Amino acid sequence: MSENLIELNNVCKEFVTAKHYPGFKGAVKGLFSKETVTKTAVDDISFAIQEGEMVGYIGSNGAGKSTTIKMMSGILTPTSGSCVVNGLEPYRERKKNARNIGVVFGQRTQLWWDLPLGETYTVLKEIYEVSKNDFEERMAFFNDVLNLQEFMHSTVRTLSLGQRMRADLAAALLHNPKVLYLDEPTIGLDVVVKDRIRQAIREINQNYNTTVILTTHDLNDIEELCQRIIIIDAGKKIYDATLDQLKCDYGDSCSVLFEWKQNLDSNQEDMLQTLGGQLVLHKQEKGIQVCFSKKECSVAEVIAKIMGIAEVKDVQIKETELTDIVKRIYQGSEGKTV
Amino acid sequence: MKKYLRIYWPFAANQIKSNFVYKGRFYLFILRKFLGMFIYYYLWMAIYASASSGELGGFSRSEMILYVFMSYTISDMVMVGISSEIGYDVTDGSVAMSLTKPIDYRTRLVFKSLGVMIYRAVVPTLFIWIGLEIYKVCKLGMPVTNPMTMTATLLSVLFSFFIYIFFDYCFGMLAFVTTYIFGMNIIKNATLNFLTGRLIPISFFPTALQKIFSFLPFTAMTYVPVMIYLGKYSGMQVLEQLGKQALWVVVLYLFGSFLWKKIERRIVILGG
Amino acid sequence: MRKLSRYFSLYRIFVMQYIKTTMQSKVDFFIGLGGFLISQAAGLAFLYLVFEQIPSMQEWSLEQMLFIYGFAQLPRGIDHLLTDNLWMVGWQMVIKGTFDKYILRPMNIFFQIVCERVQFDALGEILVGLVLVGRAVANGTVQVTPVKLLFFIVSMAAGAIIYTAVKLILASIAFWLKDSSAIMTTAYEVADFAKYPIEIYAKPIQIILMTILPFAFVAYIPSTYFLIDANFWKTIGAECAVAAVIWIIAYKIFQKGISVYESAGN
Repeated sequence: MSENLIELNNVCKEFVTAKHYPGFKGAVKGLFSKETVTKTAVDDISFAIQEGEMVGYIGSNGAGKSTTIKMMSGILTPTSGSCVVNGLEPYRERKKNARNIGVVFGQRTQLWWDLPLGETYTVLKEIYEVSKNDFEERMAFFNDVLNLQEFMHSTVRTLSLGQRMRADLAAALLHNPKVLYLDEPTIGLDVVVKDRIRQAIREINQNYNTTVILTTHDLNDIEELCQRIIIIDAGKKIYDATLDQLKCDYGDSCSVLFEWKQNLDSNQEDMLQTLGGQLVLHKQEKGIQVCFSKKECSVAEVIAKIMGIAEVKDVQIKETELTDIVKRIYQGSEGKTV
Repeated sequence: MKKYLRIYWPFAANQIKSNFVYKGRFYLFILRKFLGMFIYYYLWMAIYASASSGELGGFSRSEMILYVFMSYTISDMVMVGISSEIGYDVTDGSVAMSLTKPIDYRTRLVFKSLGVMIYRAVVPTLFIWIGLEIYKVCKLGMPVTNPMTMTATLLSVLFSFFIYIFFDYCFGMLAFVTTYIFGMNIIKNATLNFLTGRLIPISFFPTALQKIFSFLPFTAMTYVPVMIYLGKYSGMQVLEQLGKQALWVVVLYLFGSFLWKKIERRIVILGG
Repeated sequence: MRKLSRYFSLYRIFVMQYIKTTMQSKVDFFIGLGGFLISQAAGLAFLYLVFEQIPSMQEWSLEQMLFIYGFAQLPRGIDHLLTDNLWMVGWQMVIKGTFDKYILRPMNIFFQIVCERVQFDALGEILVGLVLVGRAVANGTVQVTPVKLLFFIVSMAAGAIIYTAVKLILASIAFWLKDSSAIMTTAYEVADFAKYPIEIYAKPIQIILMTILPFAFVAYIPSTYFLIDANFWKTIGAECAVAAVIWIIAYKIFQKGISVYESAGN
C-alpha cells in the first residue's frame, strides 16, 4: 500500500448568507434585518486518494462538488475537519500547495484574458520557476496531445471554448503538479474536442503518474477515464467504490423491450398480468418493456416467457448504463434521508 | 396608454425594488451624496468668509447654501445614466437581441431609469428637501417656498430627467464607435458637472460663455430647476424656461430616434 | 534575491504587454487620458472662477491653492497608475469568483492582482499634477532645495501608499460583503476633500480625514511643508508614519479577507 496523497477527514463547509424576504415589503424589511441563513454545502465528507489514481467526483448541481475541490486546492477554508494534500493543509500553506496542484475550472479560465497564449506560458514558467529544459519538453508534449500550435499566438479572449479548455489544461500542467483537479473540464465542448481532452488527460496520467480528480455531469468522462467513483448528494458522500465494483453492485438490472406484431387480445393481457414476480412490466404504445435483475432470471428466460404469450415483431435488450445506476443511487439516498 | 404602462412599468418597479435589496449599498449611497454636498458646502462657506461683499455671482451666502444642496440632489435624481448599460449591451450583443423582442429598447431603458429616479426622489431627496426647507426658514430666516414655485420646480425637474436621459441615450450610441465607454463617461461627467451648473452656478462664468450655454441643453438639466426654486426668475421667465426645457426634450428625443434608425440599419446588415 | 528578480521579470512582462495593447487601441488611450484631463480642468476652472470673486481664501492665495491641488494629484495618480486592478477585487472578482486564480498560484496575491493592470489613464492626473507643481516652482510659490526635492519624492511615495492602503482595505471588504465597489466610490469622493485646505471643513470631517480615511496626509498637510515651511515632523514625518501604519493594517485585513473568501457558485 502506498501512502495516501489526499486525505479528507470529516470535512464540513458552511456558508452564511443574509436572509432575503420576498416581495416589495420584504425588500424594505431586509434593510433593517440582521437575520442570516446557514447552508451546509459539504457535510462530513471523508475519503482518501492515492498517488496516480483517477477519481470521478460526481453529484447533482449544488451537491458540493466544487466546494470540495476548492477546499482541496486551498481556495476555501473548511469550517471543520481536516484536509491534507501531499502532506500540506492547502489553505494554511497556500504557496507551497499551489506548486503541487493544477486546477482547471470548466466555466472559468485561469489564463490572462489579454495576453497572447504563448505569452501566458512564459509568465507561468516564471511563476512556477520551471527550468528551460522542462519547459521545452512539456510544451512539446502538450503540443503533441492538445494541438496548441494552431492558436499559440492568439489572445486568450479570442479563443473558442474548446481551444481555451485545451490551453487551460496545458497551463494547469506546466509545472507538472502531483494532483490535477478538473472541475467540469468538458462542459459545453463538442464530441471531437471532448475526446481529445480525455485522451490528453489519460496520457498525462500515464506519463507523469499525475493524480486526477474529476467532477463532471458527463458520465462518459468518468467511464473513459476513472477507475474509481465518489458520489455525493446534498453535501454528503453516498457512494465510494471502483467503477467495476459499482457495476457489480448495481449493473445487474436489465431491460428488454418487445414490440408486438399485432395488438393483444384481453386473454393475452391477462396472461401478461400473471407474469409479475421478479419482472416489472411497463406497457408501451405498441409493446412492453420488461425490467428485471439478472441475478434472478436470465435474458433468455424472459424472452421465452413473453414469446410464449404473444407474437413479437422486435426485441431490444438494454444493459444498464452508468447514468441509470447513478440515478438509482441518488434515488436510494433520497429514500434514506427522507 | 394603459397597455403601454402595463408592459413597461415592471421595468421601473423592478429597479425600485432591487435598489432596496442591497442595504449596504442603500446606506452608502446616501452617505456618498452627503459627502459630495458637504465638500462644496464647506468650500463655499470658506469662500464667502473670505469675500469682501456678501454677494458672489449674484448669490447671497444663504442662497448659495440652498444652491449647493439643491443642485446636488436634483442632478443626482435626474442623472440616471443609461449609456453604460447601452455600452454593455453593445459589447455582449444583446442590443441585436433586443431587436427581436416586441419591446422598444429606449422605452425600456427610460422606464428602468424612471424607477431609479422615483427611488432616489424618495430616498434621500425628499428628506433632504424637507430638511432644507426647515433649515431655510429657521436658520436662514427666509420665507417658506410658495406652492407655485414648488410646482414649477418639480415640473422643471421632471423635464430635466427627460432631457438628461434622451441626451444620455444619444451619448450611449457612441458605444457603437468606441468600446471604452468608461473613459467616455468620465469625460461626459466632468463636462456635465461643469456645464449643468452643478459645480458652480452658471452666473459665475464670463457673460460670453453664459450666452453660449443658453443655446445648449445642459443648463436645463440642473441649473434651471434650481434657479426656479430659488425664485431667481420672474413669472414670465419661469414659463419661458419651462418651454425651453420642453423643446429640448422633443429635440433630443427626435435626435435619438434618428441615431437609432441609422444604427438599427447597421445592426441588421452587420449583425451587431 | 532570486525571488525578487522573479517578481521583477514578471512585472516587466505584464507592463510590456499592457503597453502593447494600449498602443493597439490608441483611441481608447486618448479617451481615457482626455477624460482625466478634462476632470482636472473642471476642478481648476472652478478655482479660477472662484478666485475671480475673492482675493484669497482663508490666507491661501490662488497660486498656493493651485500648488495644493497639483500636489494632491500626484500620489493619487501614481496609485491609480499602478494599483488600479484592486478596484476589480471590490467590484467583480469576489462576487464572480475570479479571485480563485490568484490563490492557486505560488506567488504573492497582492502582487499578482496589481501587476495585471497598468492604468495609463492616470497619466492625465500625473500630468496635471506635474504642470501645477512645476508652475508653482517657476513662479516662486515654492522654493527648490536638494533636501526639499528629496522629501517631495518621499512624500509622493508615502502618499501613494496611503491611497493604495485605503483602497486595499475597502476592496477587502468585498470578502465579507461580496461587492464593495459602492464603498470604494464613496471613499474616493472623500479623497476629493484632500484637494483643499482642511481647515475649511467642520471639526468632525477634519478628524475623519486625519484618522479613518487619512487623506489629509496625502496632500494638504505635507504641502504646507513646502508652502510655508511647516515643521517637518508634523508634515512629511507624520505622513510617512501614517503610511506605514495604515499599510500594515490594510495588509492584515486583506490577508484575513482571503481566509474568509467564499469563492462563487454557491
